[in-house]
Amino acid sequence: MPLEPEQIQIPLLEMRKVSKRYGLVQALSDLDFHIMPREVVGLLGDNGAGKSTVIKLMSGVVQIDSGEILAMGQPVQLNSRRDSQALGIETIYQDAALVDTMSITRNIYMGRELTNRLGFMRHSSMASIARTVLESAVHIGGIESTEKLVGDLSGGQKQAVAIARAVYFKRLILLLDEPTSALAVRATESLLDYIRNLKNENISSVLVTHNLYHAYQVCDRFVVMSRGQKIYDVPKRDTTIEELTQHVIRN
Amino acid sequence: MRKHTRWGGIVRQISAREPVVDILFVFLSVQVISIIASLLYPTSFRYLSDVNFSVMLKAVSVLGILSLGAGILMISGEFDLSIGSNFALSAIVMAMLTEWGLSAFAAAPVGLVVGILIGLLNGFLALHFEIPSFIATLGTMLFWNGMALFVNGASGQPFLPSSAFTSLMAGRIFGIEAAFLWFVALSIICWFLLHHHKLGNHFFAVGGNHQAAAAIGINSGRVKMLAFAIAGFCAALAAIVATARTGSVLPGQGNGLELQAIAACVIGGLALSGGTGTVLGVFLGASMIYTIQDILLLLRAPGFYLNIFVGILLVVAVILNQMVRKRRR
Repeated sequence: MPLEPEQIQIPLLEMRKVSKRYGLVQALSDLDFHIMPREVVGLLGDNGAGKSTVIKLMSGVVQIDSGEILAMGQPVQLNSRRDSQALGIETIYQDAALVDTMSITRNIYMGRELTNRLGFMRHSSMASIARTVLESAVHIGGIESTEKLVGDLSGGQKQAVAIARAVYFKRLILLLDEPTSALAVRATESLLDYIRNLKNENISSVLVTHNLYHAYQVCDRFVVMSRGQKIYDVPKRDTTIEELTQHVIRN
Repeated sequence: MRKHTRWGGIVRQISAREPVVDILFVFLSVQVISIIASLLYPTSFRYLSDVNFSVMLKAVSVLGILSLGAGILMISGEFDLSIGSNFALSAIVMAMLTEWGLSAFAAAPVGLVVGILIGLLNGFLALHFEIPSFIATLGTMLFWNGMALFVNGASGQPFLPSSAFTSLMAGRIFGIEAAFLWFVALSIICWFLLHHHKLGNHFFAVGGNHQAAAAIGINSGRVKMLAFAIAGFCAALAAIVATARTGSVLPGQGNGLELQAIAACVIGGLALSGGTGTVLGVFLGASMIYTIQDILLLLRAPGFYLNIFVGILLVVAVILNQMVRKRRR
């Protein structure tokens, strides 16, 4: 039996007693949440439970009111996307953050173009690396050319491009907010497979989803939220899908 | 097999990839027809004459330079309706400074700075106050148009630079119209910038989906400010080229140029929604407008025919581009 990761490692990212209020709405109150290395965490809960707020705080889009955030045990400020990116956090949105009017290659390198000293893009290296990344990492098929415009791709293919981008740029943590909501069944299966495989590349993930079956397939640990609080935190081996369902529904 | 796939790629490109292919086809067809017509009727349709070419190249350059700036801005997802007013005002500033004794070689850069500053102000208004640039620049269009009249009065402002300046901006270099060489040079620079420099990639990114661009860490405000500055710079450069040729400038001289520039961009396959377009498209769009104007002049058609034909061309081009985009889906 392998050692429990918590016993041997410090969390990649940890939130302690974090609260967040939007006007009159208390979105989060005193939330503790952490992600270990090589771990897939399922963040579950009904609408309005505060799941998306957790994602936004971790990606630096909104800031905490109180509490603290630690990365590898060190307190950090997440004031912008840039801050979270510097820590290796990448967010994959429902509508993947891609530009429809640009090619796959250009999207993968958007903002991080390979250039010469004068800032001119090295098209051929970008194209060939993009091809390798897509071929090796992403099995959601049907992408025949990296010069295709992203707008011409299906929802699943877009997610694949966004994830390929995150993997290529050696992220540590992927935050996936309802990644399967726009996907067909087969694309969903490939995506879940893929998230599982990312652990072997030392990438942890947080999967926000309504679909407990999807979460149960890939996650190592589940955190159930309700009204801005954590109500259940359990490793997969100590729970069942029925039990999880009960916790989500009961609140 | 290899050959087959390569041809397949080219065919796919021609049939579906870029709206610019359509306009290139139309442009070349019009050129071929005009050349054949001028060979058949050399006395009544002097399309191939040296004089005609020189007039056409001079005329297209002014709109072309303006359109390159407007195009980069449109690709970045913004508009500048004030480039016509900017054009007049920066020309007036340059001409006045020259009249006061400053060398045109010093006055022209001042004119360019005026153009850039007007562009940056537009960017500031639109981005800082988060108002549509269409509205912000409608305001500045009226404002700078009024300011040009306020500064200069309604009369023409003469611009009498040294002959060296005139020949550099409006003369002939190696037997080719200098104005056209400036247009071509700027097109090449814009092509490198837009399609091969990382900044170009950022223009497309912020124009195509500025949330996505921001999410990936591109400073979309700064990128758009740069695009506004380029549009302003191009307006002033076009003004210098035009004023060097005519030797004087009127405060209302740029009126309507902003719409012609937007028309040239749209004819060249740029989308009003931003994020897509090519420098070749802008080049062809501007050239197309002036080819039509030239043909109508040669046929001695009254001036309003130009608006009729450009209007038709504009709408047909947009319909074609829309069809191209739909077909790809």
